[in-house]
Amino acid sequence: MTVVRIPTPLRPYAENQKEVSAGGDTVAAALEHLAARFPALRPHLFDGDGRLRSYVNVFVNDQDIRGLQGEATPVSPTDRLMIVPSIAGGGEPGPLSRVDHAALRTNQAVIIGSLIGAYVADAPWLVLLVGLLMLRGSARRSTAFAAVYAALRNASLLRPDVLSDHPEPHRFAQFVGGIVLTASAVAFAAGAATIGWILSAVVVALAALNLFVGVCVGCALYYWLARLHLPGFSKSPPPGTRPGRRPAG
Amino acid sequence: MTLFLPADLAEAIRRHLERAYPEEAAGLLLGTADGADKRRVVRALPVDNRWEGSDRVRRYTIDPRDLMRAEDEANRDGLTVIGIFHSHPDHPPRPSTFDLEQGLPFYTYLITRVDGGSAVETRAWRLADDRLRFDEESLVISDEVTR
Repeated sequence: MTVVRIPTPLRPYAENQKEVSAGGDTVAAALEHLAARFPALRPHLFDGDGRLRSYVNVFVNDQDIRGLQGEATPVSPTDRLMIVPSIAGGGEPGPLSRVDHAALRTNQAVIIGSLIGAYVADAPWLVLLVGLLMLRGSARRSTAFAAVYAALRNASLLRPDVLSDHPEPHRFAQFVGGIVLTASAVAFAAGAATIGWILSAVVVALAALNLFVGVCVGCALYYWLARLHLPGFSKSPPPGTRPGRRPAG
Repeated sequence: MTLFLPADLAEAIRRHLERAYPEEAAGLLLGTADGADKRRVVRALPVDNRWEGSDRVRRYTIDPRDLMRAEDEANRDGLTVIGIFHSHPDHPPRPSTFDLEQGLPFYTYLITRVDGGSAVETRAWRLADDRLRFDEESLVISDEVTR
């Protein structure tokens, strides 16, 4: 017999026991034995077709059976079987997301600083690095320098400035910036340093326009493309906000 | 139904939830459940929000391993995992439709509204037996609560 631990929400269906013994050589057999012994438990473990419910996780000695052989995972009397429910939840979804503009401004400031630093130190590799971090940030639905922002926040040097806004245009703007910097790095590699620095300067200028004036040209570009019904560009500016301008709140 | 929450744990929960803002944050409540009506929180375990993607501003999920570890800790110390705490950034501390869909019986769901990075209101809820709604549990936060 294998010991099976029952999570608190399911204990009322197993005569309030924390742990029970179940026979069987596999996880499936042990769970079936358990369900036969406590019929009230069955609907909480299995769906109408007898499949394990998606919110039921089963661990054998601290290992998720999904990483083993699933329900066919063998069990012996010395094993411990644990039933663990999935826990999830959260607030109501609205039409707009919440975008932390303090994180965006930190990102712009670090991008500007790094690119000016790259020019002063004549370090084209830094341009490429910033460009790649921006592309990676967009792919991860985050900012290139999210870690810098997190550190400043943890040190209580910055406070969040969360507005009802769409994150997609900001990600697009960062993506475009990343592409321009990558093109700049290609120009350096091809020996066209002047073109490389001009492209970097364009990114610095646009990031500065966003940081100091609150105009996001990449975001405006996103909204204009959305107006042309281009696939992948589906959002309209938040109510009462001009394309690329900071939303009211 | 009443949940007793010591003030220092309420403060620890608040800090964890505020730090994660604008994203949602969550954790597990360990304590005692004397009969059905009175529960006392003895320990609050902050855990990472494992929800994937940008919806973390209004969604959370807890790694089953974190729950398993909390169950181990509770068993060792003669406690029970009595509930889950989580934040609703810029949203009322009431269970949402999604909370109801995902809700599990028995657990207390302690929900804190966090506005602009500051916790403003906390309320406690339990899923009704018919699973169609949450019932509010009275919440007592006090220094006087004995562990």
